[in-house]
Amino acid sequence: MAKSDVAVRIRDVSHQFGEPGDARFVQALQRTSLDIRRGELICLIGPSGCGKSTLLNIIGGLLAPTTGTIEVDAKPVRGPLPHDIAFVFQENALFPWCTVKENVMLGMRFQGVSRTEQEKRARDALAAVGLNDFMAHHPAQLSGGMRQRAALARALSLQTDILLMDEPFGALDEQTRIVLGEDLSVLLARAAKTIVFVTHSLGEAVFLADRVAVFSARPGMVKASIDIDEPHPRKPSFVTTEKFSDLRNKLYGLLHDEIRKSVESAAVTELNA
Amino acid sequence: MSAPRKQHEKLLSRGLQFSFLLALLLVWYLATARWGVSRILLPAPATVWRELDDVLRSGEFLPHLRVTLIELASAFAIACTFGLGSGYLISRTRYAMAVFEPLLASIYSVPMILLLPLYVLFFGLGSGSKIALGATVSFFPIVLSTIAGFGSVERIFVTSARSMGASNAQMFRYVLLPAALPVVVTGLRMGFTIALLAILGSETIASFAGLGHKIAQLAEAMETARMFAYIAFAVAIVAILNIITTALERRVKLQ
Amino acid sequence: MKENSQRNAVVWRMLIGRVGVARLAAVVAALLFWEVAARYRVDPQFLSPPSRIVLAMPSLFETPGVPAALWTAFWEFGVAFVIAVAIGLPVGLAIGLSRLSRQSFMPIVLLLYGMPQIVILPLLVLWLGIGPLSKITFGASHGVFPISIAVVAGVQNIQPILMVAAQSMGARRWQIFRWVIFPHMIPSFFAGMRLGMAGVLLGVLLAELYVSAAGIGYFTLMFTQSFDPSRLLGLIAVLAVMAIALNVALRRAELHFARWRTD
Repeated sequence: MAKSDVAVRIRDVSHQFGEPGDARFVQALQRTSLDIRRGELICLIGPSGCGKSTLLNIIGGLLAPTTGTIEVDAKPVRGPLPHDIAFVFQENALFPWCTVKENVMLGMRFQGVSRTEQEKRARDALAAVGLNDFMAHHPAQLSGGMRQRAALARALSLQTDILLMDEPFGALDEQTRIVLGEDLSVLLARAAKTIVFVTHSLGEAVFLADRVAVFSARPGMVKASIDIDEPHPRKPSFVTTEKFSDLRNKLYGLLHDEIRKSVESAAVTELNA
Repeated sequence: MSAPRKQHEKLLSRGLQFSFLLALLLVWYLATARWGVSRILLPAPATVWRELDDVLRSGEFLPHLRVTLIELASAFAIACTFGLGSGYLISRTRYAMAVFEPLLASIYSVPMILLLPLYVLFFGLGSGSKIALGATVSFFPIVLSTIAGFGSVERIFVTSARSMGASNAQMFRYVLLPAALPVVVTGLRMGFTIALLAILGSETIASFAGLGHKIAQLAEAMETARMFAYIAFAVAIVAILNIITTALERRVKLQ
Repeated sequence: MKENSQRNAVVWRMLIGRVGVARLAAVVAALLFWEVAARYRVDPQFLSPPSRIVLAMPSLFETPGVPAALWTAFWEFGVAFVIAVAIGLPVGLAIGLSRLSRQSFMPIVLLLYGMPQIVILPLLVLWLGIGPLSKITFGASHGVFPISIAVVAGVQNIQPILMVAAQSMGARRWQIFRWVIFPHMIPSFFAGMRLGMAGVLLGVLLAELYVSAAGIGYFTLMFTQSFDPSRLLGLIAVLAVMAIALNVALRRAELHFARWRTD
C-alpha cells in the first residue's frame, strides 16, 4: 500500500496537566489540529508555555493526549514508535558514561539493529555531522554545539522517516546556532525526512522550514501557518534576501500579540500564587 | 501526579513500614516462645521489657550513664578547644590551609580506634583513656569544618569590611564568625556524635565503668535479658543526644 | 648583607613555596618531636620513639602468632567487605528502583544506619563466638548501609530526560535498567563502597580488639600489660598502613569509574 501524503495527522488534540481545581492545573493544548505532509520540514513556533513541546511529545507517543487523536502513517499512536520516529531534545540527552560512538550505537541497540549494522550506521551518521574525530570522546569533553551534533547523529542513525526536534539549538549561543542551522539544512536536503522542529527563534524558523505553524498563547492551538517556498538546501545568503525579511516580519506580526498575552497571563498567575 | 494518589502512596508506605517492624517483633516473639531458641541467647520480649523497667526504676543505670556523659563532655570540650583554635589559625592563610588540610583529612581516614591500646597503656583502664580517644576522634571533624568555614568566607566580604575601617576584632565578630558559623556548627555536631560513639566503643572494649562497659560485662555474665535492656537504653540515649544536637544545630543556623 | 638575606629569602620561598614540601616538612617535624620527647622526656614504659618502633618491627613479626593474627584480620576484612557489597548492592537496587519501596524502606535503613552498632558487639560475640564469624558479621553490618544508601542515591538522581530519550528509542524496561540506570549509578556505588570499606574495617577492628582471647585483641592486651609500647605501636602502625593503603586503592578506583561525571 502506498504511503499516504500525510505523515502525521493531528485531530482535535487537547491536553491538560492535573485536574481543574488543582493548584498546578494547566490546559496546555486546546483542540489543535494539523496535517503534516510527508517530506516537509514544519516549524512549530509560539510563545513560551503554548504547548508546542507538549504536542511534540504527544506526536512521538511519549504522552497520551487527554482528548483527540494522532495518526502516524495512518496508524494511531499509542506509545513510542522507535522505528518511525526519532527525537532530538533540547537538554543534553546523551548518556554521559558512553562515548559519542557508544551513544549512537546504544540508540540503535534499543531499536533492535544488528551489531555490524550499528557500527556502519554510526560511522556514517557521525561523519555526516562532522564528528569523525570525536567518536571516542565523552559528552562532557565536547562543547554544546558538538553535543547536539552527536544527538542529531544518534537520531539520524535510527533511519526513521520522521524526526522530531524540540528546540535542539535552544541552549546554544547565536553563532553556533547559525552554523548548525546551515549544516542542518544541507543534511536534511539529502535525507528526505519529515521533520517537526520546535523553536523560539523567528530567523531559525524562516531559514529552515517549508512551513511555519504559529501557536497561540496558552491554551495552545495553531493560529496560522505560513508557507516558505524556497528550495533546499537553503543558502546562507537566503537570510539577507528581502523575501526572508518579509517572511520574518509576517511571522513577527503573528507572534507578537501572542507573546504579549502569554507574558501578561504568566505575571497574573504569579501574583495570584 | 494528582493529590489523592500521592496520599494513597504515603499511606501504603507507612503501612509497609509498620508491618515490617511488626513482623520483626513477631519473629522475635515466636523465636523465643514457639521455635525453641535458647532463652539465654535470645530472651523473650517480655523478659527484656521487665528487665528494662527494673533498670530504670532502680536507677542502676545512673552511675554508668554519669561516667559516659562525663567522659563525653570532657572529650568534646578538649576537642573543641584544640579543634576550633587550630582550625581558625590554619584558616588565616591560604598557604597553611593548603599544607595542613589534606594532611588532617588523610590522618582522619585511619580508624582512630587503633589508638585505644596506646591510650590504655598511657592512661590505664579508667576514664582518661576514653576521654583521650574521644577527644582525638572528635578533633578532626571540628578542625576540618573550622578550616572550611573560616577559610571560605568570600573575599569580597572581608575586603569591603576592611575598606570601611573594620578592626581585626570587629572583622572577626561581624564578618568571619557569622559567615563561618553554619559550617563550624555542623562540624561540632559531627564531632559530638563521633566522640560519643568512640567513647561507647572504647568502654565496651577496655574499661571498668560506663554504659559500654556495663553491656560487655552483662554479656560475659550471660545475663542476656538485662543486656538487651541496656542496649535499648544506650540506643535511646544516643538517639536523644542526636535529636538535641541536631535541633541545636538547626537553631543556630537559622539565626 | 642585604643581598645575602634576599637570596636566602628566595631560596626559602622556593623550598617552602612548594606546598607538598611544606607538608612533608611538617610531618618530619612532628616525627622529630615525637622522637625527642619519647627518648628524653617520657617514661619508656609508656611511649617509644619512632626509631625504636622501627627497630622493634622484626621482633614484632617474630612474635609467635602476630603474623597469623594480622593475616586473619586482613582476610576477615576481605570476606566482610565482599558480603557487604553482595548484600548492599541488591538491597540498594531493590529499594531504589521503586518509588513505593523507597518511601517505605529508606527511613528504616537510615534509622538503622544512625544506630550505634557498637552496643551490639558483645551480643554478637555471645551469639557467634570469638572466632572469625562474629568479626566478619560485625564488619559486614557496618558496610552494608553506606553501600545501599549510595546505590539508592545513584539510581534515584538520574536525569529524567535520559529515561525519556531511551524510551523514545524503543528501550524496554530491562534494557533501560541494564544500559541506562545501572551505568549511571556506578560512580555512586563506588563512592558508597569507599565509605563501606571504612565501615567494614572499623567493624572488624572493633571486634578484633574486643575479643582479647585471640587475634589482634590478644596481642594488644599482651603488649599493653607487659608495657611494651614499641611492639604495640608497631602493631598499630601496620594496621594503620593497611587502612591507608585500602583507602587509597578504593579512592583511585572511584575516580576511575567516575571519569565521565561533570559534577
